[in-house]
Amino acid sequence: MVAQMWRATALFRLVTLVYAAVLILRHRHGYAHPPGGLLALAVMAGWTALATVVYARPAPRRRWFVAADVLVAVALVLGTRWVDTDFHIDHGAPTLPVSWAAASVLASAVSGGPWAGLAGGAVVSAADVAERTTLAPNTFNGVVLLLITGVVGGYVVRLGVRAETAVDRVARLEAATAERERIAREVHDSVLQVLALMSRKGRELGGEAGELGRLAGEGEAALRGLVATAPATASREVDLRGLLEPYAGGRVTLSCPADPVPLPSVAARAMAAAVGAALDNVRRHAGADASGWVLVEDEGAVVTVTVRDDGTGFAADRLARAVEEGRLGVAQSIVGRMRAAGGAAEVTSSPGRGTEVELRVTR
Amino acid sequence: MSRDEREPYDTGHEPYGTGREPYETGREPYEAGAGDGPVRVLVVDDHPMWRDGVARDLAEAGFAVVGTAGDGAQALRVVAATRPQVVLLDLNLPGLSGAELIARLCALPLRVLVLSASGERQDVLDAMKAGATGYLVKSARLEDLVAAVRATAAGEAVFTPGLAGLVLGEYRKLAAAGPEPDTPRLTARETEVLRLVAKGLTYPEIAERLVLSPRTVQNHVRNTLTKLQLRNKAQLVRYALEQGLDE
Repeated sequence: MVAQMWRATALFRLVTLVYAAVLILRHRHGYAHPPGGLLALAVMAGWTALATVVYARPAPRRRWFVAADVLVAVALVLGTRWVDTDFHIDHGAPTLPVSWAAASVLASAVSGGPWAGLAGGAVVSAADVAERTTLAPNTFNGVVLLLITGVVGGYVVRLGVRAETAVDRVARLEAATAERERIAREVHDSVLQVLALMSRKGRELGGEAGELGRLAGEGEAALRGLVATAPATASREVDLRGLLEPYAGGRVTLSCPADPVPLPSVAARAMAAAVGAALDNVRRHAGADASGWVLVEDEGAVVTVTVRDDGTGFAADRLARAVEEGRLGVAQSIVGRMRAAGGAAEVTSSPGRGTEVELRVTR
Repeated sequence: MSRDEREPYDTGHEPYGTGREPYETGREPYEAGAGDGPVRVLVVDDHPMWRDGVARDLAEAGFAVVGTAGDGAQALRVVAATRPQVVLLDLNLPGLSGAELIARLCALPLRVLVLSASGERQDVLDAMKAGATGYLVKSARLEDLVAAVRATAAGEAVFTPGLAGLVLGEYRKLAAAGPEPDTPRLTARETEVLRLVAKGLTYPEIAERLVLSPRTVQNHVRNTLTKLQLRNKAQLVRYALEQGLDE
């Protein structure tokens, strides 16, 4: 992007050089010092060639050259007073370099952004104003245009660089995702199959083989979770499913839509943490044989995650009592987290019928 | 194909009779076939060890495993020759995509039970929309697999909680996409039932909670799938017509 802008600047310089040359050659007989006009033209041509070469090179430190660029423009603008007649100048004749001077402003903007562009514009404008005794409307227009050129040019470059970085990041992310999907496919096709088979056969055989089978099953679940984890997206939104995937496996089943469930990172992380806390509770309190299910639903305006277990459950008033007694476990880690993230949580349970925790976030 | 060329798990049982065109029984084949003896199953999987293990397990559990196949093209050939009632199908096959193969299989009077190690949610959803009526992960226990094959042969929908979550998500996506006239929608009851399936409740548990018969619960689940499959088919027909008219 920056390289393109330098090329555009070089082109601008060349075109404006031609324009200035036409004006100087046509008007030189009316000048107070005609050879001075030709000298100025020679300087412009030389500087144009030099600047084109210098700016085309990838040099990180070319500030001094940009400053020199602006000074050359200023000198040529001020030199108009010496070359042309006062009469012409006071009656609105253009400066010697005409719009060629703006090339240096553009160069400042490209190399240093909007503020540098503005500064370059201000310096050249000051020379423009100093060169004249009266501030004609023409000059005023020119000054405004120069300042705008500096700021807008700098802004466009900065915007372009940012867009370029973003595109770059997306491309990298895409490549990473593709590679990840490839690995996931390979793993699905081979390792997961074998682990699943071992798990099933082992459980059927029982005894020590059963233990091996159980381990293979856990390995399968863990690996499945790992290859299914979605990579972080480029934006500040994350796919909630990717954050919940690591919890699946063993006695926990995760059910999701097929499409990503994007949420602002803060809300998604709060929700994942609350799910983790709810599943911790299942492990600790629901009983050894309890299983857990996590359901993710994207209803557009609202995203709901439900964590259910088939464990022992508890009486409806126990949660409230726990809070009154100062035991904040569930209330703090689940309800508190969700509230802090602008969501809500509801816990329902009855003895012998498991527990259900419903977490909700509004988009 | 003669009897001699049949795959090794064939029990020799021939529910449709001989000397007729395949499937021309003049009756609804599933209902007719289901009561006539062991359920005829075809196992399709590209992993030989897994394929043979499952085939053996199913044969031991009393099913008539009429054949096995390692890829889609082979599956289509074997299906034509052996007329299974249930095709137990892995989604990650070489060649044809899972959804494409299922669409072709479901043109025949048989039912497809997807048994997959793939956690790829879109693949699973596409397979169900293409016409499969059941889905099971490969880590399922043998007794679950046996029950699933039996249920599939009987015309029931075999859902995992994960599949219920996918189907729910698909309906929400359709609803969000806008009110097209032929967009399928879930009734309040169907949504309720699907959510409970997704939260891990069994059909009897759901029946108890909603005070319905297990049969009704099963029908609700089945309907959610049928509506998606009909829409899928309608879209394919419309696409084919549009292509035809443009030419």
